[in-house]
Amino acid sequence: MLYDIRQTTTYLYGGQVRVARQVLRMTPVDRPHHQHVLSHSLSTDPAASEMEHGIDFFGNAIAWLTLDTPHDRLEISTHSRVEVKATPLPDVQASPMVDEVREAALASTDLGPNSPVHGLYASRSVPLDPAITDWTAESCAPDRPILAAAWEVMERIHTEFAYEPGATDVTTLPHEAFLAKRGVCQDFAHVMIAGLRGLGLSARYVSGYLRTVPPAGQERLAGSDATHAWAEVWCGEDLGWIGLDPTNAIAVGNDHIILAIGRDYADVAPVDGVIVASGEHLLAVGVDVVPVERPYAVAPAS
Amino acid sequence: MDKVSLAEDANRDPFAAAAVEAVLDGYQTLPGVRDEMMGADGRPRAHWVPFLTALAELGPQEVRRRFGAADRYLRDSGVFYRVYDDKGGGERPWALSHVPLLLDKADWDSLAAGLVERAQLLESLLADLYGPARLVEQGALPAAAVAGSPEFLRPMVGTVPRGGRFLRFYAADVGRGPDGRWWVLSDRTQAPSGVGYALENRLAMSRALPDISRTMRMDRLAGFFQGFRTSLLKLDRTGEGRVGLMTPGALNETYFEHALLARYMGFSLVEGEDLAVRGDALYVRTVAGLKRVDVVLRRLDADFADPLELNARSRLGVPGLAHVARIGGVALANALGSGLVEAPALMAFLPRLAIKLLGRPLALPHVGTWWCGQGAERAQVMEHLDELVVASAFGTPVPGVGRRGSVLGADLTPQERRQLSAAMARRGADLVGQDVARISTMPVWTGDKLTPRPFTLRVFLAATEEGWTVMPGGFCRISERLDARAFSIQRGDRSADVWVLADREVPATTLLPSPENVRVRRSSGTLPSRSADNLFWLGRYVERAEATLRLVRALVGRLAETEPASSPLVLRLITLLSSWGAMPRDFAGASPGRYAIAALTRHDLPGGLPQVVKSARAAASVIRDRFSPDAWRALVDLEACLNTPVPTAPTEADAHERADAALRIIAAFSGLASENMNRLTGWRFLELGRRIERGMALLRFARTFAEQGAPRGALDVLLQLADSQITYRSRYVVIEARGPVLDLVLLDPDNPRSLAFQVERIAAHLRVLPGRDPDEPPPRSERIIARMRADLTAATAESFDIEDFDALEADLAQLSDEIAAHYFIQGPAADVAWPGQG
Repeated sequence: MLYDIRQTTTYLYGGQVRVARQVLRMTPVDRPHHQHVLSHSLSTDPAASEMEHGIDFFGNAIAWLTLDTPHDRLEISTHSRVEVKATPLPDVQASPMVDEVREAALASTDLGPNSPVHGLYASRSVPLDPAITDWTAESCAPDRPILAAAWEVMERIHTEFAYEPGATDVTTLPHEAFLAKRGVCQDFAHVMIAGLRGLGLSARYVSGYLRTVPPAGQERLAGSDATHAWAEVWCGEDLGWIGLDPTNAIAVGNDHIILAIGRDYADVAPVDGVIVASGEHLLAVGVDVVPVERPYAVAPAS
Repeated sequence: MDKVSLAEDANRDPFAAAAVEAVLDGYQTLPGVRDEMMGADGRPRAHWVPFLTALAELGPQEVRRRFGAADRYLRDSGVFYRVYDDKGGGERPWALSHVPLLLDKADWDSLAAGLVERAQLLESLLADLYGPARLVEQGALPAAAVAGSPEFLRPMVGTVPRGGRFLRFYAADVGRGPDGRWWVLSDRTQAPSGVGYALENRLAMSRALPDISRTMRMDRLAGFFQGFRTSLLKLDRTGEGRVGLMTPGALNETYFEHALLARYMGFSLVEGEDLAVRGDALYVRTVAGLKRVDVVLRRLDADFADPLELNARSRLGVPGLAHVARIGGVALANALGSGLVEAPALMAFLPRLAIKLLGRPLALPHVGTWWCGQGAERAQVMEHLDELVVASAFGTPVPGVGRRGSVLGADLTPQERRQLSAAMARRGADLVGQDVARISTMPVWTGDKLTPRPFTLRVFLAATEEGWTVMPGGFCRISERLDARAFSIQRGDRSADVWVLADREVPATTLLPSPENVRVRRSSGTLPSRSADNLFWLGRYVERAEATLRLVRALVGRLAETEPASSPLVLRLITLLSSWGAMPRDFAGASPGRYAIAALTRHDLPGGLPQVVKSARAAASVIRDRFSPDAWRALVDLEACLNTPVPTAPTEADAHERADAALRIIAAFSGLASENMNRLTGWRFLELGRRIERGMALLRFARTFAEQGAPRGALDVLLQLADSQITYRSRYVVIEARGPVLDLVLLDPDNPRSLAFQVERIAAHLRVLPGRDPDEPPPRSERIIARMRADLTAATAESFDIEDFDALEADLAQLSDEIAAHYFIQGPAADVAWPGQG
């Protein structure tokens, strides 16, 4: 599936901002077995005085941005074209046992970005929580196939939690969302990750997009009007990371575009920044993920 | 000296021997535990004998006096340790145990050599883990034993620190086992603390026992600091010799140490907001604009160092610092991410890694450690739980191992044991098992005799051009309890100095560079904006305290002259005090005397003296590297003076006495500040603060006591408040008249208490402040002061009315704002928020 993705993020500040330094994680990169990025662009208004691009530890595209012209409004626009060819979900019953996967992660000799070891521990936005762990354990008997266990956890989140935009915010911790049994995609992903990690399993956080307009006759997926988030579970050396979307109780597939991967939200926050200003600021995000019907045409040189 | 020669000594001087016996009387060593002073034969070890003899010769009374002197020194120099769990963020006075730990040279040398080797190992380990991670790939170290550390900073992976080193300052906590060997208990690689306290302990001891410490031939500490300082300065590429000591700020528990080290080593004490990243370099905000900082001694934990790439919620760091460090735009000591090798989990693998990285086993053992992320080790630990300590593997809080992060297996109830077993099965990777290290005891002085207490020793190492150097001494922490198991030592117990006894004469070293290297420098670097800000406010608060005290004194003075409490002058004084927030609103109708006492003593009044002086000291505490210890002491005295309990029924005379005493201390502070501070930019900001505040106070006094129609005697009060009575009397024989009084108090440029004098001084300071561009029009502050000068020159005393006083006061307030806007750091930094993901 070929997608045309546009995101516009607008900050309205209460006063003049003299200097702003930000880190942006807003552009997709190639992900083997899932997506290929054909083109992408990132621009700001007012234009950045300094902008540098790089790749972070987990392989995400990262941009360092400095604005030193006084401004009371900042608009960040991205545009990318991504081709998604998701790997089909393997047979869940054939995946290795929970116990086996736990020991395999601990014995890993890989410290690189895709190693399961990064998904094993408590992280900034995902402290471990005994209640979530015990709740998750109900689905994760040691001799159960990992993917079957994780799938059940995902489904339980979907049925037991209410999807309620505005009920939580970016700083809500998993145990708060767990107690309230409601939240948005970020909370669901965090709860799922916290529970699996509590059992010694490896799980990580993915931020991305969902296609905005559903195929004819299908319902629109939740979480499609902003950036979306889901979890990946490590299923042993052979299967590696498998994406599960607890907000929609589906496997990550051709409707999902990956933006950034990390241990939790804090690793992939689209914007981290510090401004020197007084007053409140207001933010608006607009996302449009549109399937491109015709093959990608290159505009004639003008 | 062995047992025999001690006996010979005793033969020579039976009185001394008997006195030593008396000192040692009742010294009961613990069974199965080694004691530093007492040998297994019940005789003191040879290297302790000279010290014990000296102590015995002084006699218990003199020893008490000497030790008291050490405590006084520590108190007077304001050595403290901030206690986090104290609600008020209190400061705990430094508790020194007066008997130093004595170590003989050979013993020390082997410990030092072992630690140097360990430092080398940890450096190689960091280089590998942040580089190719071959040790992990080859299976020598599980990846999960690395990834679990919150100090494995992923943004720093793949980078080599500027200067090629992660570690430049390393400390290890060691203890001596029953077998006499030193054991490493833990490693400190993030930003080791304690070295400044060790320095203060040494100074206090040389104060207490100058004769003994001179004759004992111990290694001196200064050379170590000198070497470290030189090695950091060598990293500076700007040639300006500016090294920043980065602190989390005055609320940090070891802030005192940060300020002390900055002053001692000549570094700039900076907080995150003092620094800024521009392009590929780091800068400090100074009153003369941004100045490059190429080397930073980091005392801020790495996670807080950069809100962009590390902890986004940190308000203590510098946005972009990780990026600049990564590209080598700044040298950090220690490099971001160095804290990784503090993890107990890694300790389990060090013996194996030493053989791989150094080609030999470590000479210095460390406490036996097993990481429970591995099945076999986990089983071992559970099996031998009774003999082990279970602790957090990465220093992070783990449920089930207690608030302090470690628990003795033998102490667990059957239920706790079951819980631990379940936690091990799920998340063994979070835990390590460790041997229970039995550590040795050393003597502490309790009243009039010596008692053994367990201790741990922190040893400090610095990287220099010639390799690692070890500070010949250390920071000794002594347990208050008799439990000799290392893990029971708590923070904040007593500490002791450590004397490494040399076998030969020790040359004196000081931090002063050798004469041929001294370049003449008249400026001591550029003043950071935040320091200027604090100096300015220190000036304002001290002056405000003075003005308030003068008001209080005038009030009780009036009352003493049997002025009726309801007289218009008394009412005006009270009104003025309450408009400054120095008067309680809740006891209307109380006697004016009680008002005066309240202004002097009550902590809940925003403008009361305790609060004003507290603010002054708070401003001063963050710039202690900028002014003399004596001036600091004056502030401490002032606070002590105001906090002395008042008699239950205080009289006006008590209030008068206290106000007098406080004013004398302020005079001493002013004298020390103006005599002992170099006439540099910092002093000018202190002066600006004082002059502006004094001018504002004068105008308020004048407004109240020199308005047309003020009651009789008001002008006399004004002269008294402006401290100008003597001048007036010497000039005019007549009774106070409005014109002459106002002329003297406001317009006379030769009266150091007059408004005109303050304005002249302000103008003079503003003219020479740095950062002025000759091509630009003068800053607004100078335009304001120029207008004030013109106004005052043109004015005649008689013509002043309330509007004039108010206008001039408003000018001064605006001037203060303009100075702040131009020279100080602007605006709080704010987060850029994100609404969360769908």
